[in-house]
Amino acid sequence: MGNGTAHLSIAAVTHRYGSVAALDDVSLQIEDGELITLLGPSGCGKTTLLRVVAGFIRPSEGRVVLQGRDITRVPPHRRPVNMVFQRSTLFPHLDVFQNIAFGLRIAGVPREERTRQVEEALALVRLEGYGPRRSHELSGGQLQRVALARALVNRPSVLLLDEPLSALDLKIRLEMEVELRRVHRETGATFVYVTHDQREALALSDRVVVFDQGRIEQVGPPGEIYRAPVSPFAARFVGDANVLPVQINAVNAGEARVTLGGSELVVGAGAVETVGPAWLVLRPEVIRLSARPGTNGPALTGTVQDVAFRGAGFSYRIEVPALEELLKVETAAEGGIPYELGSEVVVTWDRGSCSLLPRT
Amino acid sequence: MEARQRSPFTLAITLFSLVFLFAPLVVVVLFSFHNTGSLSFPFTGFSLRWYREVFSSAEFTRALENSAIVAGVTSVVTLVLGTAAAWGLTRVPPKFRAPVAVLVFLPLTIPGLFLGISLLVFFVRIEFTLSLATVAIAHFVYVLPYFLLVARAALDRLDPALEESAADLGASPWLVFRRVTLPQVWPLLLGATSLAFALSFDEFIITFFVIGTESTLPMFIWSSLRRTVDPSINVISTVLMAVTIGLWVVAFVFTVRGERSRRRSLEPLPTEG
Amino acid sequence: MIAGAHEEPGRSASWGRQLQLGPIALTLPATLALLLFFVAPLAAFFVYSFLTAGFYSVTGPLTLEAYQDAVTSDVNRTLAVNSFVVGICVAAVTLAISLPIAYWLRYAAGGWQIPVLFLITTTLFASYLVRIYAWRTILGENGLLNSGLERIGLINEPLGFILFNRFSVTVALVHIFLPYVVLVLYAGFRPISPALLEAAQDLGANALLRWVRVVLPLIAAPAATAFLFVFILSPGHYVPPQSLGGTNGVLLGVRIQTALTSVGNWPLGAALSFLMLAAFAVCFAITALGLRLLKLDRIRFAN
Repeated sequence: MGNGTAHLSIAAVTHRYGSVAALDDVSLQIEDGELITLLGPSGCGKTTLLRVVAGFIRPSEGRVVLQGRDITRVPPHRRPVNMVFQRSTLFPHLDVFQNIAFGLRIAGVPREERTRQVEEALALVRLEGYGPRRSHELSGGQLQRVALARALVNRPSVLLLDEPLSALDLKIRLEMEVELRRVHRETGATFVYVTHDQREALALSDRVVVFDQGRIEQVGPPGEIYRAPVSPFAARFVGDANVLPVQINAVNAGEARVTLGGSELVVGAGAVETVGPAWLVLRPEVIRLSARPGTNGPALTGTVQDVAFRGAGFSYRIEVPALEELLKVETAAEGGIPYELGSEVVVTWDRGSCSLLPRT
Repeated sequence: MEARQRSPFTLAITLFSLVFLFAPLVVVVLFSFHNTGSLSFPFTGFSLRWYREVFSSAEFTRALENSAIVAGVTSVVTLVLGTAAAWGLTRVPPKFRAPVAVLVFLPLTIPGLFLGISLLVFFVRIEFTLSLATVAIAHFVYVLPYFLLVARAALDRLDPALEESAADLGASPWLVFRRVTLPQVWPLLLGATSLAFALSFDEFIITFFVIGTESTLPMFIWSSLRRTVDPSINVISTVLMAVTIGLWVVAFVFTVRGERSRRRSLEPLPTEG
Repeated sequence: MIAGAHEEPGRSASWGRQLQLGPIALTLPATLALLLFFVAPLAAFFVYSFLTAGFYSVTGPLTLEAYQDAVTSDVNRTLAVNSFVVGICVAAVTLAISLPIAYWLRYAAGGWQIPVLFLITTTLFASYLVRIYAWRTILGENGLLNSGLERIGLINEPLGFILFNRFSVTVALVHIFLPYVVLVLYAGFRPISPALLEAAQDLGANALLRWVRVVLPLIAAPAATAFLFVFILSPGHYVPPQSLGGTNGVLLGVRIQTALTSVGNWPLGAALSFLMLAAFAVCFAITALGLRLLKLDRIRFAN
């Protein structure tokens, strides 16, 4: 099930509800065959953009161009685009087979060919033999797999997925992620995926688009978003980093001397070259705890305010004097004895594993 | 929030039907103010003479009183028995639920005509004189299913967890009802009672058969229709409409307000971020 | 107090028993009242249909005379046919108007939903007699419709065929049933989420196809029920025919009413009533069967 060059271009799309802009001058180029995820918190505009591409919303400004054709004003039923909705939208009066065949029937595909394609679609989502079943006989995961088959059987130029896994239990969700990756690989179709779950986004995508308040914050492969966030929002939203306000006092040969909560530290300078206020991005898992001060590298002292067992390790909240927020720390389980509540610990990390972002 | 679709065709039909539904009512009210005795167009001018005439008629006043009495009795009895029955229905073991539900909703499926004539024959047979009392009994049978529709829907929508918490904290079933259930459903029950009153106040089809020598307002309209045909009929009709629609507005406001406050009290507080 | 409740098994056992007896006891008054004043009279009335007619009374012996009378009389046959035709027309027209209205209310009304619902149901409380009688004013030779049409110049003399016949009775009955059917259909539309219509659109269905392939099948069961009830209840309305029906707009309900009140032949009235009820039962069975054959009867919505 391949398709031709599905180059989807979103150009300067703005959409307003009254005076509020749900989408603000959003532009994005989507490559043929990629799985790109729109990631952001509720209300950030990602679902709005998806529905603009689907055709349910006509944007206040901007254009949507699919394979060279401007489809901004084309109604949904005439776009070569299909969508998997967040909740099950299987037609309750039709069985699974008839549901999947729905779009084919409208397109006038003759019966034998229809049957063949529906069987193929069922096999793709590993639901062979489920044709005669009705929606109330299926589990949540099965419902979404049928929805996937129903959309893909029409060989859309773009497949849109609106948080398809958010209504499922955790275990099913993880299984479905594997299924989705497999289906994407086997079909080679272009997937535009929407979610607020950053873990899901990192696991599934070729590229991730981080959204906030109707604007794109960052676009890039998952690794890049994770390791090099370009804004405090992106840093906090993906990977839940500590984003700490610092003052850069001097920058010299790739290293910066900063003041953090009253202490002086030396860290890697990264992209920032000027003196002044900045953000220090420190991921919880790069932090190490010890009872005594170490030799070199940045270090802070603090008290353990909370500790939680996470199976593979521990989560801590450390109170560091002069820092407003508690520091989030994740450590591996080695040894197995965590630091106790109220104990004093020394917080260290490698100079190069943190990054600095400009602060205005 | 679900998105609105646009559909000019269905909107047009809706508007047309609103006009269709209200045209007769507007005409009736309009002609109650006619300054001549004619009920055909053209409409020549406004006057209150018919209102003066009707309100000075003792027959009219008595019919109005009778309707109010019957409706009052019917709605109170329906409120008490109906609330008990609705409450019981939601908690009765399933095997009782179906037959009882069928029984109480059955009158809805029978034409009022049959209810009226079977009761007429019944009352005559047991030698129970036809009077306002027989009317009230008939109205109760007629009104109960409507009341139960609203009451049952109201009780079904309650969260059982609230009552369970109350019981867990030591409340007896009666206290649970008084302190937990009633505060949540009283607007809807009041609305349903108002509805019952309105239905009884306007009832004609069944009343025709089981009424004795006294008259209710709809019966008075009926006999007036046979005698003279002038705008005084419109006046009586307008009064009747005003009462029943007024009660319906009350019922509606209470129902909507009750629903809204119940839903609001169950919503989680807005989270930050 | 709480600790006490937990410690006394006797008390919690009686709590359990209370929970069982209580609800049943609560439903008893209403149930008994209905048995006494609804079921018993209807049952007795049924028996009456097998008795011999006296003058506003009945006597033994048991006989099928009333039923024979009911079925063989020409007048009754004409009335039955009339009632059937008018019933179908009223049900069809009411349904045809109500479907778009209910659709609009559910999917396109937005904030207007409650005000419009309120307006529509208000007419339910606008006095039965008044409404029927008002149609006489509107459809009469000098009524609103004729005067209006003459004023615009569409006609030169008043239309005589719109009053005192089946047409005017149908109009009045549609007016009576419309709000009920709108409410029933609106309730039927509630579980059909707009996302289903969007999904159909997404899969290529234009408006017409959406109606035919998704909306109608899903609303079929409530619509069929509504149709059935309007059809069944129409002939029982004896007031519209008497006010608006003229000579050819008479329905069975009138005959039953006069049998009971002016003619005084109770067995005949009873026989006609139960024949009508039997006909309803047959129609109900046919509808239920039809829905089951089309597999539209037991649609369960997942969400």
